Amino acid sequence: MKKIILTLVVACSMLSAFAQTAEEIVAKHITAIGGAENWKKVKSVVMEANIKAQGAEIKVTRTMVDKKAMRMDISVMGMDGYSIITNKEGWNFMPFAGQTKPEPMTADELKTSQDQLLVADEFLSYQDKGKKLEYIGKDDLEGTDCFKMKLTDKDGQETTFWLDATNYYILKSSAKIKADGKEVENSSTFSNYKKLDEGIVYPMSMGGDNGEIEITKVTINSTIDESIFVPKMK
Amino acid sequence: MKNSLVLLCLLCTFHLHAQQQINAGMLGTLEARQLGPGTMSGRISAIVGVPTDSKILYVGTAGGGVWKSTNAGASYKSMFDKYCQSIGAIAVNPKNPNIVFVGTGESNMRNSVSIGNGLYKSTDAGDNWKMIGLDSTEHISKIIIHPTNPDIIYVAVPGPLWSDSKHRGLYKSSDGGNSWEKILYKDEKTGCADILIDPNNPNILFASMWQFRRLPFSFNSGGEGSGFFKSIDGGATWKEISNGLPAKPFGRIAMALAPSDPKKMLAIVESKNTGLYISEDGGDTWKNQSATMNVCARPFYFSTIVFDPKDAKRVYRPAFEFSYSSDGGYSFSGASGDGGWVHSDMHALWINPNNTDIMYVGTDGGIYTSLDKGATWIFNHGLPVGQFYHVSFDNHDPYNVYGGLQDNGSWRAPSAAPGGVNNGSWNRLYGGDGFWTQPDEDGKTAYAEYQGGNMGRIDMTTMKAEDIQPKQTKTEEKLRWNWNTPIVLGSKNPKNMYVGAQYLYKSTNQGRTWKRISNDLTTDNKEKQKQEDSGGLSADNTSAENHCTIFTVAESPLDENLIWVGTDDGNVQYSNNGGTSWNNVTANIAKSGIAAGAWVSSIEPSHFDKNTVYATFENHMYGDHATYLGKSTDLGKTWTRIQSKEFTGFSHKICEDVVNKKLLFLGTEMGLFATLDGGDNWFRMKNNIPDYALVRDIKINPKTNDLIIATHGRGIMILDDIRAMRNLTSEIWDKDVYVFPMPDMVLNNGRFGWGGTEISGGWGTGNPSSIPTIDYYLKERLSTGKVEIEILDAAGKLLQTIPGTKRKGINKVFWNMRGTPPKVAAGSTKMDGAGFTAPMVLPGKYTIRIKVKDQVFNNTVNCVHDTKNADLSEANRKLVYDKSMELQQLYTKLSNSVDTISKYQARTKKDTTDITNKAFNADLEKIRAELMATKQTSIFADEERIREKLSQLYSNFCGMETTPNDTQLKAIEAITEEYNAQAEKLKKVMEKYKSKLDPSL
Repeated sequence: MKKIILTLVVACSMLSAFAQTAEEIVAKHITAIGGAENWKKVKSVVMEANIKAQGAEIKVTRTMVDKKAMRMDISVMGMDGYSIITNKEGWNFMPFAGQTKPEPMTADELKTSQDQLLVADEFLSYQDKGKKLEYIGKDDLEGTDCFKMKLTDKDGQETTFWLDATNYYILKSSAKIKADGKEVENSSTFSNYKKLDEGIVYPMSMGGDNGEIEITKVTINSTIDESIFVPKMK
Repeated sequence: MKNSLVLLCLLCTFHLHAQQQINAGMLGTLEARQLGPGTMSGRISAIVGVPTDSKILYVGTAGGGVWKSTNAGASYKSMFDKYCQSIGAIAVNPKNPNIVFVGTGESNMRNSVSIGNGLYKSTDAGDNWKMIGLDSTEHISKIIIHPTNPDIIYVAVPGPLWSDSKHRGLYKSSDGGNSWEKILYKDEKTGCADILIDPNNPNILFASMWQFRRLPFSFNSGGEGSGFFKSIDGGATWKEISNGLPAKPFGRIAMALAPSDPKKMLAIVESKNTGLYISEDGGDTWKNQSATMNVCARPFYFSTIVFDPKDAKRVYRPAFEFSYSSDGGYSFSGASGDGGWVHSDMHALWINPNNTDIMYVGTDGGIYTSLDKGATWIFNHGLPVGQFYHVSFDNHDPYNVYGGLQDNGSWRAPSAAPGGVNNGSWNRLYGGDGFWTQPDEDGKTAYAEYQGGNMGRIDMTTMKAEDIQPKQTKTEEKLRWNWNTPIVLGSKNPKNMYVGAQYLYKSTNQGRTWKRISNDLTTDNKEKQKQEDSGGLSADNTSAENHCTIFTVAESPLDENLIWVGTDDGNVQYSNNGGTSWNNVTANIAKSGIAAGAWVSSIEPSHFDKNTVYATFENHMYGDHATYLGKSTDLGKTWTRIQSKEFTGFSHKICEDVVNKKLLFLGTEMGLFATLDGGDNWFRMKNNIPDYALVRDIKINPKTNDLIIATHGRGIMILDDIRAMRNLTSEIWDKDVYVFPMPDMVLNNGRFGWGGTEISGGWGTGNPSSIPTIDYYLKERLSTGKVEIEILDAAGKLLQTIPGTKRKGINKVFWNMRGTPPKVAAGSTKMDGAGFTAPMVLPGKYTIRIKVKDQVFNNTVNCVHDTKNADLSEANRKLVYDKSMELQQLYTKLSNSVDTISKYQARTKKDTTDITNKAFNADLEKIRAELMATKQTSIFADEERIREKLSQLYSNFCGMETTPNDTQLKAIEAITEEYNAQAEKLKKVMEKYKSKLDPSL
């Protein structure tokens, strides 16, 4: 009898998982990451992180003012570089790649980078932005059962997300970026989800093509000196 | 009652959940490398571009799925890895190019053509797909979308090649593909080969019906069912076209209409007098036009003829070669070879409607682009869809792989190479259609063949080949060589070479002499030997129909006198005396439920027991797609059929592991499958292998433990080092975390150097890790908590912390056998490489501490001196290490000096009005500018100061795998002195400005 009840429970949860709509999955995801209320209070994020490569460390600091500006500082082997994205302009200064002064982003690059100004993940604001939400279906992400979701903006820029079917965390995102006549796919993985004092749940590890970034510190709603979003021209 | 059924289903589900089964996810990062090549691609069956953004191309391939280019062919990406890999047709919705249809099942009906499983639709430009029907059609040749009402779709379905079927004909959907109606149907033998729509009046349609059939030993194109039809009411009614056409019966008809002037039409009508026909009145009347061989040749295989979208006088005929006409089809010219050889046998053409000078042709060897209306062609190097039949490997280190490809000869490539395995790594060995390619153990000779058993012994230095095919003697019947004739070297004694016609031949001297070691081992059924009559209306027997032949030969790895033979007409025979006598066990096999007479596709005598043998059988040439796998443990007396719900596709190859007898791999027309329990439970291999890959051959290299896979459409794939898979048992996979024991780590920089920039472009893949990885198993993907790997030396000192991957299954993390690089001082205008460099550790035991969330697992690894390196003794390794550490310490001192200077400068710069301050700052800057590069920021200016020189020397020592030379050792003294001089100066400056010094700094 116990077994049958257990079976029914398992079956029911499976059935309900099957019947979920895109909105329901998103709602559960938002609950999993701490709830919309907590996220709404987040106006700025300063994220300090490390990339470890063969024993060496690259320090990364990402400063975000919600929907307004983002700056990422990278320090490699005694050299510093940064990129800046605001609503109006974007800059890259990567001396490691030979740049000797900040170089402006193209209009397309800037336009397709605007989602990086969001402090929270896109599922919290997709409706405001008029993005189309689609539930593609269940998908097997490297052996893990996921909900595969897609957000498409008005210009046709698409990002696909894989949400863990058991805990609703985003495990992977893949953005197809069409800019300057090229189409590039950027994928990131997310893990080490951790609840912060502010009640929000944050992925403390992110993986990309250049290895894994480990976030060492997240500061929410500190005062940001906005002059850092203007590049220093020499 | 209904309820109890539901409950039963639920219980079954529960049962599956309770007992965790092995699956591909458990293998985690154990993923295949796809070696390509892109330099020799495979058969292309469809090319469709997007008119509104003509740099986007969709490509359908014979056995490699759908590929997409978003850059006009510079690179391609696979879009169909989870579905059937044989593609017949592609169409893009003209109003919404995000909607794409793919019809599976290629319709170039050659002997080796694969089979589809329906029609697929994507609504997001190919990212995601759904099967939307027509799942029993097996072959789809064309999809046409109504130009103004894209909900109307027509699909031409030739249908099954090897059996009767009601699912043939022309289908129409009026609701975007949700439902289908058959609107033109003749009989179970006749399908729809092609469909045309008049763009000006889309109610006008043309359809060609085609009666065709293959048997394993013959092909018939043509019959009473074939015909040419026209509809003027969107397919509701049809009228047969005949005025001016030759006498029926017809075979396959290729047809085209000019989009700019749709009254103008062309048709190549296969009949007893196959010819080119021209119509000027929308297909009502036709006139025969004399045409070249290329225009009319092999109509069953070359069914493409295309008008320029804007110019009704310009016509293209991609066929055996590429022809074009500038006068509406009255005369044809051939493409030029300038710009390189263009592969023959063409099946697809897409002309950019926005610039009709630009076009893409799909051949049996990949895609070419033309920028001059088809006169010359440029090869696209990034499409790795080669169709291998077999693969083998040699004894080199790294080993080479060898294999023959459909219409693309025989090739060799290293399994690993400096900079990875790229297009430029592949070497041609032999021509024609390639099949078995075997390297001799002498290291310089290979055996290869082309269709019909034409085989050569190849000197791989000069590529000269000697014919070695055994010849018919006076007393023998004509030799029957399979299209894909086995050339097999002994598993026990590699000096034994076997080749099979209907008789088996053996040579022990590289094919210089042969001994026939059997009588006819086939059924010798004369009814199946009338190949000269094959083809139907057009003769077509290119040895592809040869039958009653030996197809597979296997020598037992335990006994060279035990030889197994399988034939294409269902016989399995063995000899346990080296061929003196033979035992036919065929009758025993059918008793297990395996279809009698099925093609014996592979035989695998066990590596562990002489009496055990596995064999695969396939019967698709009689319309039976079942996956047949048999096993006998009593030398063929009794057989068990091994089955699994996981299996899809007919079987090509069974492969038993060489270490774990319970680990088996099965390759089929639709996937690669594995079992870890001797065949009770199977799972589909994914692991960077397309779910439905056409797997023709599988080998395991016992030295490297690599699984080598030959696919018929995705080239060669290698799953490197399957030891972790071999050792995966339920004791491991039931654990949340399991850490695999570490093999010894040999201290060297890995197998390869850099070798310069790889420039061959196109397709490429990396190398396997040549340093053992740290392997651990996670039952589930970790979304909370960290995985960290700490490496500690014998004294417990932490050398490195490495973030670990968190995937479900086996994870592999790389440690470079080095410690922590030195600190780099800030403030230079140059990036300094020393910050990424540390000396390689010395031989000894090291602790690997794996932290998963709050659990800690300690493992030990033994790092050992590389005894194979004659240039570096263990004593000199110690010297190199000591010198590296000496340089590292010097580097750290330098960094500290710079940091000290920077700290004081931070203060001195604040108040430059103070004269002492200013002088102090200037003195410090002088030293700083000697210690490291401070002026030039450009990467094109090599400002070199002490740090730059030191860094280079340090990196040299850290990477050294030889005894340092005297100049290198002296350079250490020199750089040390240089630094010391500056350090001394710094000390003096500090003393001089003592008053300025802040004790807090």
